[in-house]
This record gives sequence, C-alpha cells and structure tokens, in this order.
Amino acid sequence: METAIDIALKFAAITVAFVVVLLIVAYTVLAERRVLGLIQGRLGPNRVGYGGILQPFADLLKFILKEDIVPDKSTRFIYFLAPVIATMAALMTMIVYPFGPEIRIPFTNITIPLVIAHFDVGLLYVLGITSIGVYGIMLAGWSSNNKYSLMGGLRSSAQMISYELALGLSLIGVILLAGTLDLAQIVEHQSGWYGLRWNILFNPLGFVVYLIAAIAETNRVPFDLPEAETELVAGFHTEYSAMKFALFFLAEYINMFTVSMLATTLFLGGWNVPFAEAIFGRGTFLFGLVSAIGFLAKVIFFLFLYIWLRGTLPRFRFDQLMDFGWKILLPLALLSIFVTATLVYLVPSL
Amino acid sequence: MLALLFILFAGLGIGCALAVVAQRNPLYSAISLIGVFISLACLYVMLAAPFIAAVQVIVYAGAIMVLVVFVIMLLNVEHEERGRTRLKFLVPTAIALAAILIAEVAFILVSVQEFRVTPTNEASDIGVTHSIGTQLFTRYLLPFEITSILLLMAIVGAMTLARRGGLLPATARVIPGAQQFPISMVDPRAEPDDLTPVETDTTDEAARLLGVDHRNRNESA
Repeated sequence: METAIDIALKFAAITVAFVVVLLIVAYTVLAERRVLGLIQGRLGPNRVGYGGILQPFADLLKFILKEDIVPDKSTRFIYFLAPVIATMAALMTMIVYPFGPEIRIPFTNITIPLVIAHFDVGLLYVLGITSIGVYGIMLAGWSSNNKYSLMGGLRSSAQMISYELALGLSLIGVILLAGTLDLAQIVEHQSGWYGLRWNILFNPLGFVVYLIAAIAETNRVPFDLPEAETELVAGFHTEYSAMKFALFFLAEYINMFTVSMLATTLFLGGWNVPFAEAIFGRGTFLFGLVSAIGFLAKVIFFLFLYIWLRGTLPRFRFDQLMDFGWKILLPLALLSIFVTATLVYLVPSL
Repeated sequence: MLALLFILFAGLGIGCALAVVAQRNPLYSAISLIGVFISLACLYVMLAAPFIAAVQVIVYAGAIMVLVVFVIMLLNVEHEERGRTRLKFLVPTAIALAAILIAEVAFILVSVQEFRVTPTNEASDIGVTHSIGTQLFTRYLLPFEITSILLLMAIVGAMTLARRGGLLPATARVIPGAQQFPISMVDPRAEPDDLTPVETDTTDEAARLLGVDHRNRNESA
C-alpha cells in the first residue's frame, strides 16, 4: 500500500514539475521576444494581456489550431516519432535536479527533500538522456524527405556529437572536486563557506567550456547552424508545421532550461544562497523557500544570458564551428581536467 | 510490481530485437536497436546497477548508434536489395549457433531450479559508482589499462585507414560532390555533347583530368 502511495506521490510531483517547467519555458519565449525587442530598439509583443503576459497562450492556441501538414513523400512513422523523441528527452532530465535542500513542513515532523528522483548516477543520467535527444533532430531531418531538412539534421548531429565530448569532459573537474556523480551531493558539497563554496571558484575553465559547449548542444546562437535560415530555410524542422513544430520549439527551450539548471547545479552552487543558512537555520521552511528561489534566480540568469547572446552575436560558419569544437574547446576541457586534478591532489581538503 | 516492469522491459527488448532482424529498411533496424539498448538499460536499473545502465545509454544508444544512424542517413540507403544471398554457409552456422544458445538457456533454467540459494538481506553496493570505480582502479587495473590501449590502437588504426593514399596538399580545397565534369569536357575523344559526369575524389585528380596545373598556379600566386 505504501509503495502505491509513494508511486502516486512521485507521479504527482513529476506532473507538477512538468507544468512548472512548461510555464517557465512559455515565459522564456515571451521574455526572449521582449528582450530581443529591447536590444533591437523595438517593442516586441505587448498586445495580449497586460504587457503581453498572455502571449504564450495565444501562441499555443495558434499552434493547435493551425493545419498540420505532412509532406507527401515523408516517412510517416518516423516523421511523427521525431518531435516526440525530442520533447520527451528534453523533459525527462527535469526530475533529477535538486532545486532545494531538505525542508521540514511547518507544524509537522515530516521532512522532504526538494528533489523528485534522487539516485547515484544523476549526472550520467542527464548526459545519457541528452544524448538521446539528438535522435529527434536527426530523424526529423531524415524523414521529412527534404534536402534542407536533411542538411540541417546532419549538421545538427555532427555538431552535437562534437560538442558532447567537450561538454562531458568539462564536467569531470566538478566530479573530481565533489567525488560523486550524485547531483544532490554535488550541491551539498558546495554549501560550505556560508554557501559560497561554489565550484566555479575552483574550476572556472571548466565552467567556461561547459557554457560554450552547452550553447552548442542546444543549437542556439551563435551555434544555431542546424536552422540557419539564410542557408537552410529552417533546417531540420523545415517541413514541420502546427503542433509538431511547436514540440520542437518547446524541446529547444526546455533544453535551454535543463542546461541552465545543470550549470547552476554543478558550478554555481545549486540552491546554495550565501548566508541563508546562517540567517534562517538549516531545514526550516523559510530556508527551503529562499534556497529554491535562489536556484530559480540563477537558472533565470542563464536563460537571460542565452537571450542576450542571441541579440548580440552573429552565427559561426560550419567549418569554424567544427574547428572551434575540436581544436580549441576539447583541449581546453582536457586542460581544465588536468588543472583540477592537480588542485585536488595538492589540496585534498577540497 | 517489479515482475510487471520486468515483463514490460524484457518484452520491449525482445520485440525490438526481432524488429532489428525483420525490418527491411536499415534505418528502422537501427532505431529498433536503440530500443533494445534502452530496454536493456531499464533492466540494469531494475538489477540495482544504475551505473551500467547510464553507461549503456550514453555509450551505445547515445554515441555508437548516433554514428550508425548518421552513416545510414548520409548514404541514404533505401530498402535492402533482395538479391542472391552470398555466404550461403552462414545459414547452417546460424542454425547451429541458435541450437547451442537454446541448449545453454535450457541448461541454466534447469540448473537454477536445482540449485537453491537463499538471498541475503544485506544491502549490497556492487552496482554503485563508487564501488565500481574502486574495483576498476585496484583489482581490475590491468584489464582496464589493456582495454584503453586496445581502444587507442583502434583510434590510430582508424586514422591510418582514413588517411591512406597520402594527405592532400595544404593548398587543396576538396568540396565533396562538387568535382563533376561532363566527359566531353575532359576526354577529347568523347562526343562533344556527351554530358555523362566524370567523378573525381581529389583536387589533384580533377586538375589532372582538366589539364590544369593548379599547384604551379598556387605557388606563383
């Protein structure tokens, strides 16, 4: 009986997490359009609701009501499968991030950890699911039976395979410092020094490499070659319309969100807010609340960074992209491992 | 509950494995193979080996199969050609090997029923990352290092094979798929309006066919 309740609770938690994530993602899209407007000296969408606050829902309705066009010569089954894989892989990593410490619910003795699924190999799980996400884009490009789509899909997979290496290697420094693959313990490890013992202080090079590789992994500007509209119309999702296109769109923004969460968790101390523990005391409800808000604020900072970059930088050329990934980023990631390993060896108390 | 999950994932694995063999389109086979790997990973998780499960997904489903699908997409292989089967001896070999496999499974099933052990209640940390790492770098260090040397050899071998035939000169600019000329342009004996394409792989070959000495031009420039 208890396991049944447990499972029901987990399902409820996952559903809530998905809804919250989708809401945040919807407003990231709105924020992107407004901030881009700001950067480019125009207004951006501000008509639906107060200051455009209902714009995401209007967009969603539009996507649902549009005609769903399927190309005649496409490979039907895979054409339908691709957006599903992309969205599912993007959503699945959501459950392992600890967004707050253990808290005690007020007036009871029940303590709950603010994380949905807690397991030994959280970091590897994230990497594994992220690598599955490539298939969504590849298969979409192939099954559309369109040259632009195929080129976009091939570019995207080549890019993601190349940058996955640098991404994975940049994380090893953090693993060396924390000595575990468990995300909750990695965050816990950063909670010393009044909540300022962040990994970015010990492994700044790894952080920079991770940030760049993560932008490439999510196919965002300046690495958005898979959907370079000047060359490839819209890349792998050229033939997709209506809700299927919306799923790809969603997957891209959810990926941005997960990548930002991973950066926060691994390098910026996760839910650690400086001095929060000294003020509120560990395990109290307020401490949990402040920590969770701190976590969200750091994630939102990264999301803003993404939008900022999009408004600022031009796009790479494809050979530049490959050269940069293999000849600069990968050696830098190796160097960061070397430096961190030396640091851990010389100062074992880290 | 566990039994239900086991049946689900095992069934999925077997179904996908059958699909790998039965599908005519190589891309469908590849996708089914990904399904096999993922259901295997789920089974590993159920066996309390999360590390192996994660590595299974990262290495097989996430890296190797991406490469396979990539190659299939690049070559754009359509349906497998159903021609005469060469290597006819493979059929009896396959049957014999299948018979041996079934015999082994039957033997294991029988011996498991005869051999009774009571499971201990002690918590085990065999599948956990920390214990795997400790074992790998102490007790199994030699096999681990040998494997890494093997992998290094494979990388060097791949490089050597890919670069066979010499490196292109630094000035060469090869654009795949672009070096096509009609045969009338290259061969003076051909009909003047014969547009059959001549394909070359390198800039050198293209230059030779066209009678252009591109190296000299580069040097003078």
